[in-house]
Amino acid sequence: MSLWVDKYRPTSLGKLDYHKEQANQLKNLVQCGDFPHLLVYGPSGAGKKTRIMCLLRELYGPGVEKLRIEHQSITAPSKKKIEINTIASNYHLEVNASDAGNSDRVVIQELIKTVAQSQQIQSSTQKEFKVVLLTEVDRLTKDAQHALRRTMEKYMSTCRLILCCNSTSKVIAPIRSRCLAVRVPLPSVEEVCSVLTGVCRKEGLLLPGELAKQIAEKSGRNLRKALLMCEACRVQQYPFSSDQDIPETDWEVYLRETANAIVSQQSPQRLLEVRARLYELLTHCIPPEIIIKGLVSELLSNCDGHLKAEVAQLAAYYEHRLQLGSKAIYHLEAFVAKFMAIYKKFMEDGLMA
Amino acid sequence: MQAFLKGASIQSTKPQKDKAAGPSGEKKNKPVPWVEKYRPKCVDEVAFQEEVVAVLKKSLEGADLPNLLFYGPPGTGKTSTILAAARELYGPELYRQRVLELNASDERGIQVIREKVKNFAQLTVAGTRTDGKPCPPFKIIILDEADSMTNAAQAALRRTMEKESRTTRFCLICNYVSRIIEPLTSRCSKFRFKPLDDQIQEERLVEICEKENLKYTKEAIAALVKVSEGDLRKAITFLQSTARLNGEKDITESIVIEIAGVVPTKMLNNLLQICYSSTFDKLEIAVKNMIDEGYAATQIISQLHDMIIEESLSDRQKSAITEKMAEVDKCLADGADEYLQMMSLCSVIMQQASQSN
Amino acid sequence: MSKLSLGRKVSSNKLSSWVEPSFGDLLSGSDLNSFHLKKGASSGETKSKSRPPTADSKSQRPSKRRATCQASEPQCPSGRDLTQGGQDEPWVDKHSPSSQAELAVHKKKVEEVENWLKSHLDHKLENKGGAILLLTGPSGCGKTATIQVLAQELGCRVQEWYNPTTVSEFRTEDSFKETFDPESRFNGFHGISQTAAFQEFLLRANKYSRLQMIGDSGTSDRKVILVEDLPNQFYRQPASLHGILRRFVTTGRCPLVFIISDSLSGDSSSRRLFPRDVQEELGICNISFNPVAPTSMMKVLSRIVAQEAAKSGGRVSVPDKAALDLLCTGSSGDIRSAINSLQFSSLTDFSLEGSLWAPKKGKALSSKGLSKPRGKGKSSKGPDKQDSDQAIGGKDASLFLFRALGKILYCKRENDTDAKGPSLPAHLSEHQRDTLLVDPELVVEKSHMSGELFNLYLQQNYPEFFSDVDDVARASEYLSDSDFLTADWSSRSTMREYGSSVATRGLIHSNSSRARADSQGSMGFRPLHKPHWLLVDKKYRENCQAAQSLFTSYCLTPLGLQTELLPYLAQLTNPMRNQAQIAFIQDVGRLPLRRYPGRLKLEALTDRDPGMLDIDSEEEEEPAVPSSAPIVSSSSGQGEPDGSDDSALASSQGTVGDLPASQPQPTTSQALLESEEFVIEEYDSD
Repeated sequence: MSLWVDKYRPTSLGKLDYHKEQANQLKNLVQCGDFPHLLVYGPSGAGKKTRIMCLLRELYGPGVEKLRIEHQSITAPSKKKIEINTIASNYHLEVNASDAGNSDRVVIQELIKTVAQSQQIQSSTQKEFKVVLLTEVDRLTKDAQHALRRTMEKYMSTCRLILCCNSTSKVIAPIRSRCLAVRVPLPSVEEVCSVLTGVCRKEGLLLPGELAKQIAEKSGRNLRKALLMCEACRVQQYPFSSDQDIPETDWEVYLRETANAIVSQQSPQRLLEVRARLYELLTHCIPPEIIIKGLVSELLSNCDGHLKAEVAQLAAYYEHRLQLGSKAIYHLEAFVAKFMAIYKKFMEDGLMA
Repeated sequence: MQAFLKGASIQSTKPQKDKAAGPSGEKKNKPVPWVEKYRPKCVDEVAFQEEVVAVLKKSLEGADLPNLLFYGPPGTGKTSTILAAARELYGPELYRQRVLELNASDERGIQVIREKVKNFAQLTVAGTRTDGKPCPPFKIIILDEADSMTNAAQAALRRTMEKESRTTRFCLICNYVSRIIEPLTSRCSKFRFKPLDDQIQEERLVEICEKENLKYTKEAIAALVKVSEGDLRKAITFLQSTARLNGEKDITESIVIEIAGVVPTKMLNNLLQICYSSTFDKLEIAVKNMIDEGYAATQIISQLHDMIIEESLSDRQKSAITEKMAEVDKCLADGADEYLQMMSLCSVIMQQASQSN
Repeated sequence: MSKLSLGRKVSSNKLSSWVEPSFGDLLSGSDLNSFHLKKGASSGETKSKSRPPTADSKSQRPSKRRATCQASEPQCPSGRDLTQGGQDEPWVDKHSPSSQAELAVHKKKVEEVENWLKSHLDHKLENKGGAILLLTGPSGCGKTATIQVLAQELGCRVQEWYNPTTVSEFRTEDSFKETFDPESRFNGFHGISQTAAFQEFLLRANKYSRLQMIGDSGTSDRKVILVEDLPNQFYRQPASLHGILRRFVTTGRCPLVFIISDSLSGDSSSRRLFPRDVQEELGICNISFNPVAPTSMMKVLSRIVAQEAAKSGGRVSVPDKAALDLLCTGSSGDIRSAINSLQFSSLTDFSLEGSLWAPKKGKALSSKGLSKPRGKGKSSKGPDKQDSDQAIGGKDASLFLFRALGKILYCKRENDTDAKGPSLPAHLSEHQRDTLLVDPELVVEKSHMSGELFNLYLQQNYPEFFSDVDDVARASEYLSDSDFLTADWSSRSTMREYGSSVATRGLIHSNSSRARADSQGSMGFRPLHKPHWLLVDKKYRENCQAAQSLFTSYCLTPLGLQTELLPYLAQLTNPMRNQAQIAFIQDVGRLPLRRYPGRLKLEALTDRDPGMLDIDSEEEEEPAVPSSAPIVSSSSGQGEPDGSDDSALASSQGTVGDLPASQPQPTTSQALLESEEFVIEEYDSD
């Protein structure tokens, strides 16, 4: 029994649940025979990967669904060995090169070179190119992105790239200009609802419309999250009732408690406690930028007026530093401390008035 | 950054060559990038750069060329011009052996440039073409993206240029002339390429559409021109992409906008309205929504920037907002979170707007 | 230590001539003086007398020795015969322990090693393959001595690998003659790389053992292979070492012992050479030694002193108890250096204080030079001497971290309120501060750690010293600034000093409750703690990596995996998972909700903890290789914060006082400080 997310993932462009217009366009693209490099972008949980897999299937037929996980080891020119996981079929290769950290450039070059130079095993497919699917392109180093641009040109004849990322902001312009950009927005609340209902029907469950809507809203239109939530609801209680609690992830609850702790008291002691909680979140694999974003949205709901604007500025400021700096805790803590200071001042002013 | 845009031309040329060489059986429908297909064949065809063309033609008549330095924004026809000129000078047969195109992103070390240039420049060439027509007794080396060469490499080039001046002419192409060292610029005649006029672009696009049998609406062409911001290559690439995606249907404005990843004006107007007159909570929702739609924050900012300039705000407010934009743009380039940065920008706009001018 | 000891070990006969002349010179110097004084002979003559021996030591050695003996102990010609050998031989060698009892190492450690050796020496006959032991610890903590002593007691030979430097040296080495029969093998050795030679050595050592076994299977053929200095090649390519070891493990017949010193500045060669996974794969047993505890060091030193005093008939100037104490603390657990200092100080007639400095300084410099040469470390030596306050602190880095932190956090200010300078205008009056008594840059410099690490310590401890949220906010801002300054690796080396300056001065300034000298009395004693961040960061990376590798089949980006899939998997009852996955989900997907946010258990920092860690690049690199060094037992660990944080705190406070008795634990966070070079490879364009 696999997760609903995987079990009911559409496998062909025709079966996609939303953005059907775009699915059609992609079909046209495959048919016109002149397949460019693609840059697929959109928020997490919008269905980029699903769409890409459908596209690949359209290109190569069901063979692409026979996936195997491979563990590759690449030797950099400096003789350093880099280990990386790839997911491959006979026709394509998926890799998240940002896993390799600073060596991502070597990984990209070597992998694409290997793919481009190896002969197509089956000549039965009429496509003379293979596809390399690079995920999280926006997390690649600039160095790797520049290398990518050269590689793209060099092996154009035997290899096409599909790049997948959350936002094109972090992808350098030369790459953007070489690719056909495909934007995948999040599904609307209605679309999420209909997918949820559809999945539940296939599972033989009855999902009240009200609950579906709540899940959709709570998931922030993230379809993957919505499906996971829905499945968790099923575990929690069945038959569904339209007013049942939608299970949240532990870290979200924990983060909210942390925010409450910040709001309820502002003191150096409390800061230490909050720090401990932040450490806790970090050791549970919650990335620092997610922590700060979560904190901001919780904290914003606790303050009003011009304070919100100030908090938004603060958050942007420290999140930026967090990206550049080497030790996230300094910046997380500075954000919390700053917030405490302005919030305290705000409350005191409120009392005086 | 823009210097790199130049590289697109290479992308277009390479597959062409590769495929021509390749053993593949189906030659008939080899898709050629339109940028290549519709590259001007002679200097006269070069769009909009009348001054440059005039000067160039004069030199061509004299069958001599100075060293050239072309600069200007991407997609304005710099590479096309020199290629067309070379074609006119040498004709199709000699062209290959007389012209060396070096893309700076290929090999930009001093050593490589010296080596290649030296090998290429060594052979003296005759003053006639195979078909008997006279042709200039020199070769042309095109250095694309010259502004991304290191200063050391540029300095090395200086010497090479003088040494080989008997047999070779150099054509340096770059986006920013300020990034070429002084000694080099002084050895070249400089030509500035200006951004293409909308009118000209439109004509070109329509021409291509007709040759490719595309159905299009006037608005679509207008939109293409608009999103490409004077970059004809970008416009043509977009046009080809839309054609590929669209199949048999009309090319419409909306699909052009979609391809270019441009944020619909309606959405931005809405955002601005919220900034001017509504609450912070609504703003949060609006920004979240834009990010959820997958629009890139950098794109939003550049469009918002154009809009803010036009808005009826005081200069003081505008400068405060644009300053913040610059900051946000930098942060985004550093990899900061899009949502938080957008929120901080919008809150500044909100703040500024709420201050009565 | 490697190189220092390398030089010494490469050939033991060289050693004496290497060490001795330095003593000899010095002594002949005093010899010279005494000649001057006593005979009043012309300087030219004395020089010609004393010079030749130094220049040509081989031939004229005996005469020189006599001279030195006479010089140092002119009054005791009778004792000469007794002490002649002893004087030439460093006390370190002379008094090397001959039994377990004499070892200055903690009994438990010795036992551990002994057990290992015993079990593997015996199993040898059952043909189990080679076993490998890895001994780590700071230099001079008795690793080698332990092995030697144990080998002796267990009746087995120690066969040691030496890095061949030249062929001739090779030949003179006895153990090598034993290993490689010179006539057949040796000539082939010229061109062989060290790596190949090492491999030869290991495999040959095996073979030899077996042949011996057939002949006579007495206990004498029991043998331990000891490797102290590895061919340099391995430091660059640990993989090649692993390859050789793999072969050894399958074919080897006798135990192999690696001894690798943790250098003070944390270039964790042992962790790079023997990463965790390799250790597990090859079944390498790792025993890590601590620095010699002051008490046992004291014992050894007193014993040596007693013996020497007895031998020389009371003519060796015997340092008193206080001086020995000074030696102990000064050596920070390095018994070799302590003994060397002892020998030196009792040899000469200079005042004890003066002589203590010289060897110590030399030692510190050389150890610095061996590891990453850091300008700071060296430059701080000079002022140390002058500053009488730091006489001990300067020598003992471990003492200083505690005090350094204290200096910054308590920020003592001068108490003269007679506004001598112009005071700040009214609107800035909140920034008015009394003159500082400390120089923050100097404090950081003397703490012998990088500014970044020092900042981490500050960050861990500063909130305790603040009472106002505004101040804390300002201080945290400075810390953030400081991290931001050093963010870019390309400019980090330049910026890190500014970074630490910003952090320390920022912290001092922003503590407005301590702005005035007279407002400072109220601050009581606060315990200091070691930074958590390193551990948390490591845990974060490890967990992320584990998540990636365990759940590859879901094909998700790390973000989706960590924030969506895992937490929900924890709530679902999905049977399609293996044990490791389930454990991981329970571990990471769940957070201790609704429990009061337990403070992470803190490990108190004591005045004994050395500030000897060096982080250069623990950030932004790929996850460090998990290390085996003793990790703070009270780690934040699996997110199981101890509910009873108060008691934890109390207990950790309790250890502050009584730590000196036990062995200091210097490697707490060093384990996490993997440095990995940021390699920028040449991009070959085609």
